[in-house]
Amino acid sequence: MPLTILIPLVVLGIAGIAILLHLSGLTAPRRFDGVADANAAWLREFPEMPPIETHIDRDNRVAFVRTEQGDGLVWCMGADTVARPLADFDLMDIDGGLEVRFHDFSAPHAVLHLSDLDLPYWKHLLERS
Amino acid sequence: MTDTLTYPDVVSLAVPFFIAAILIEFFWIRLSGRGGRYETRDALTSLIMGAGNVASGIALGFVAWGFFMVLWEITPFDLGSSWWVVLLCFVLDDLRYYWVHRFGHRIRWVWASHVNHHSSQHYNLTTALRQTWTYTFTFMMVVRAPLILMGFHPALVLFCGGLNLIYQFWIHTEAIGRMPRWFEAIMNTPSHHRAHHGRNPRYLDCNYAGVFIIWDKMFGTFVPEQDDEKVDYGLVHNLGTFNPLRVAFHEWVGIFRDVTQRGLTLRERLMYAVAPPGWSHDGSRDGSDRIKAKHLEHFPEKRGTPGFR
Repeated sequence: MPLTILIPLVVLGIAGIAILLHLSGLTAPRRFDGVADANAAWLREFPEMPPIETHIDRDNRVAFVRTEQGDGLVWCMGADTVARPLADFDLMDIDGGLEVRFHDFSAPHAVLHLSDLDLPYWKHLLERS
Repeated sequence: MTDTLTYPDVVSLAVPFFIAAILIEFFWIRLSGRGGRYETRDALTSLIMGAGNVASGIALGFVAWGFFMVLWEITPFDLGSSWWVVLLCFVLDDLRYYWVHRFGHRIRWVWASHVNHHSSQHYNLTTALRQTWTYTFTFMMVVRAPLILMGFHPALVLFCGGLNLIYQFWIHTEAIGRMPRWFEAIMNTPSHHRAHHGRNPRYLDCNYAGVFIIWDKMFGTFVPEQDDEKVDYGLVHNLGTFNPLRVAFHEWVGIFRDVTQRGLTLRERLMYAVAPPGWSHDGSRDGSDRIKAKHLEHFPEKRGTPGFR
């Protein structure tokens, strides 16, 4: 197939499908439905590290998990979840919360939305990890 | 010796079919309320990966083609292009695919290219198009060398590879349960390939087939999808990004970081590149064998069932 046909076909096909999905409401982000849901998402990736303490951010999109083997973060990404141990990261203050920047090319960062009241406590949790 | 044999670029020709099939699957899921799920950014990433795969093929395809043409000059054999030669080439190229795919899961250097195909937590027809941009760098084109040296023309071999890829498109769906028993016995199907995409310990490193599932049955890697264990799609540790560049290159970056750690022996550096994914010099990571073993410690009743030998 000539590139003059293939390129527009691919570009329009990708754009059309993306617009269709977005207009169908499939861009809506997942949220944790409580601590049990966040714990299940954590255990899905780290079954050998059962949570003993879990905190969820204001948007119900990020959870801090404490385990006997160390702390971790589990967060929503699209319709699914991702988890990483809090082993190698930087903590940044951002407008409306905190950003955890992992030194991990496959999971660069997670954003926590926090109230002014919650912020110091979360900072304390993450900084001692 | 035939030098001018040409076949259509079937993958490019199939693009309108890919788009139409994705739309049909999507509307089927919306209307029936079952058969899978879609998410905008996940699907968009998969589609961009597919476009990038075609682009990398155009940009780097000359490397494999040049290699194949050198082999074609060397070989004294020419099997021609009759229908039985095409058929035989298709079957043997599918055997080639099985081994390349198996290497792709068991050699980290090759996994670095293939991992992106498994990086979606969804399983729909867009996942089929989430293809590598870096296949050329795996050097897996050498696995096709025997076919060309046997007398199959490079154009024919690539034509069969294209047909193989197109076949594998339709099996990336949850909208189809199981095919008739005879078909499931011989061919790769949505059910068999769903198991292949599973991150459940049971389903790790199984069902490498492209078109014919018989290769997995012959070489002991077949695990049937279990009705009582739903497939959990994605990677053992899922990606925290939809950025196509990170999807395409994250494992290569991981290899680079591991290989360049301080204080390793030369052998350890090499092992980080070629050992199975999950290997580490200090035993701090788990590969699929250890993941399965740990799972069996918690669920000993699964020992001896498919996927746990």
